[in-house]
Amino acid sequence: MFLKLEEINMRDAFGKYLHNIGDKYKDMVVLDCDLSTSTRTNLFAKKYPKRFFNMGIAEQNMLGTAMGFAISGKIPIVSGFSIFTSGRAWEFIRMACHDNLNVKIITTHGGIVGEDGSTHNALEDLSIMATLPNLNVLIPVDNLELVQMLDFALKNEGPFYIRIPRESSTNVHNKNYHFTMRKPDVVKKGKDICFIGTGYGTILSLKSALEIENELNCTVKVINLSTIKPIDEEKLINEVKNVKGVIIIEEHNIYCGVGSIVARIFSERYPIKMKIIGVDNSYCQSGTRNEVLKEYGLNIENIIEKAKNLLS
Amino acid sequence: MVINEAEESDLLLDILDIKKNILKMIYLAQSGHPGGSLSCATLIYLLYKKIMKFNPKNPKWDERDIFILSKGHAAPALYSVLSKIGLITKEELTTLRKVNSKLQGHPVKNDQLGIEITTGSLGMGLSIGVGCALSAKLDKKKDKLIYVLLGDGELNEGSIWEAAMAASHYNLDNLIAIVDRNGIQSDGFTEEIMGLEPLANKWDAFGWDVIEVDGSNIREIIGGFQKSKKTIRKPTVIISYLVKGSDISFMEHSSKYHGRAPNKEEYENAIKEIEEIEKKIGVS
Ligand SMILES: Cc1ncc(C[n+]2csc(CCOP(=O)(O)OP(=O)(O)O)c2C)c(N)n1
Repeated sequence: MFLKLEEINMRDAFGKYLHNIGDKYKDMVVLDCDLSTSTRTNLFAKKYPKRFFNMGIAEQNMLGTAMGFAISGKIPIVSGFSIFTSGRAWEFIRMACHDNLNVKIITTHGGIVGEDGSTHNALEDLSIMATLPNLNVLIPVDNLELVQMLDFALKNEGPFYIRIPRESSTNVHNKNYHFTMRKPDVVKKGKDICFIGTGYGTILSLKSALEIENELNCTVKVINLSTIKPIDEEKLINEVKNVKGVIIIEEHNIYCGVGSIVARIFSERYPIKMKIIGVDNSYCQSGTRNEVLKEYGLNIENIIEKAKNLLS
Repeated sequence: MVINEAEESDLLLDILDIKKNILKMIYLAQSGHPGGSLSCATLIYLLYKKIMKFNPKNPKWDERDIFILSKGHAAPALYSVLSKIGLITKEELTTLRKVNSKLQGHPVKNDQLGIEITTGSLGMGLSIGVGCALSAKLDKKKDKLIYVLLGDGELNEGSIWEAAMAASHYNLDNLIAIVDRNGIQSDGFTEEIMGLEPLANKWDAFGWDVIEVDGSNIREIIGGFQKSKKTIRKPTVIISYLVKGSDISFMEHSSKYHGRAPNKEEYENAIKEIEEIEKKIGVS
């Protein structure tokens, strides 16, 4: 259950979810931009060919079309790679959010993609998404949470951006877990320091926390911040009230990323020692995902070092 | 420029060698895009070897023509060609997609290699070409030509057609777009995903001079490029009919190997197939 590598990766879980839910939501349509094999929307396409629209490699047109579907009473699910969908079609998304349209943008290849390299990495998408009023921005840490987020997004009106990684996922929750929008999800209790992770950042947080506790005489709390926007500020502040410091771990550029969002909340309402670990102002490069993560400081050793500095 | 038979078979053998390197690089990296790299290898090689003003000893030479690989996922084809003309060593080829390698998964701007701009996010190359072509006009560099290689799936992007309008509006006869018309994109056949036909008519309607060539025929390709140089007051597009995964029987005409590396057995079989073709042409 805890930190177990899942058998199916998150993209497959996403594809299966759409495939299974099609009958329940008759107004749901799925749009992809020539990446249905990678995003796994092809499973839905096979079962519901009439409700699937491959828009070709044309992200802007895909978003515009989704907006048209939304004002016509459909629930469009829009998919593609995180950076191309959020980046190329950004102003379309901005206007969809402006009118609070019921568009669900669910992308894969969030964060570091590995071998494809800098052009395909999504390390700026959260900045440009989280800045949009009305948009709900979510990052699932495991399949269980992903499925509940998808349920939530379908049941609730309004635009959503859900970011799925390319890699297989690690299970963090037990099956009783219940995703609550906005609420910081405490995945591990602790008293001395608090790690706040998003997506893979949560997994790194947990692994680092266990090692630090072995090494030092301290306990580490870990929060899975899966709702990036909107955040329940009150609850988040309450969670860090008794710790000495906070470390935020995100698979994103640290400039205007999740750390910046959280830092605004703490600096205004509850100043506390903080360290933000993420990609420091780079587009990164090719390599296996683990090598690239390490190269840019998203590894357990670096996190432990930063935690020690913060505690000392 | 007429090429004789001996030269033609030399070029063909070079291209087969380039294809072997493409396969090797992707096999060693265990990731990459073999289909669309194999399809356009001939075009890129002929551009560098026979068509463009380009000096491998001085890739930043001011008088050079400009090449933009807009379909950046064909990076292995570009790297193998650059290796053939001496800019990348055989050892370097084995570092494709590895941390700290010059040979990134998608081409990254690099003055030593003559890579003019980073590509991989589709749909940008033709606009960039328009900028280069306008700039060459401003500088009165009459002989400087700008070549942009596009994927056919890539033509789905609206920005391509924005650039197409601008290029004809500004009479950019120094801009040559080449379309790798292999008929397949990532999810399947172009005509099933987002129909492009009648493609030649579309470019024609946008004010471009259209040349169609059989991309497996070296003489025809060279003829097409020569013809493009004669166009006045209009940009030219060369629609090159090619085969995705060309020369490897199990990769041809399929989207399966669009973004998938061959395993060991597939790799070895692919190399064998190329060696068979080499034998037919007559490797000494
Ligand atoms: C903006 C953008 N959207 C999506 C992709 C993902 N992608 C990479 S290659 C490809 C298909 C390209 O098809 P085509 O242009 O026909 O290339 P070819 O068949 O020649 O390889 C897609 C969708 C991308 N690289 N850039």
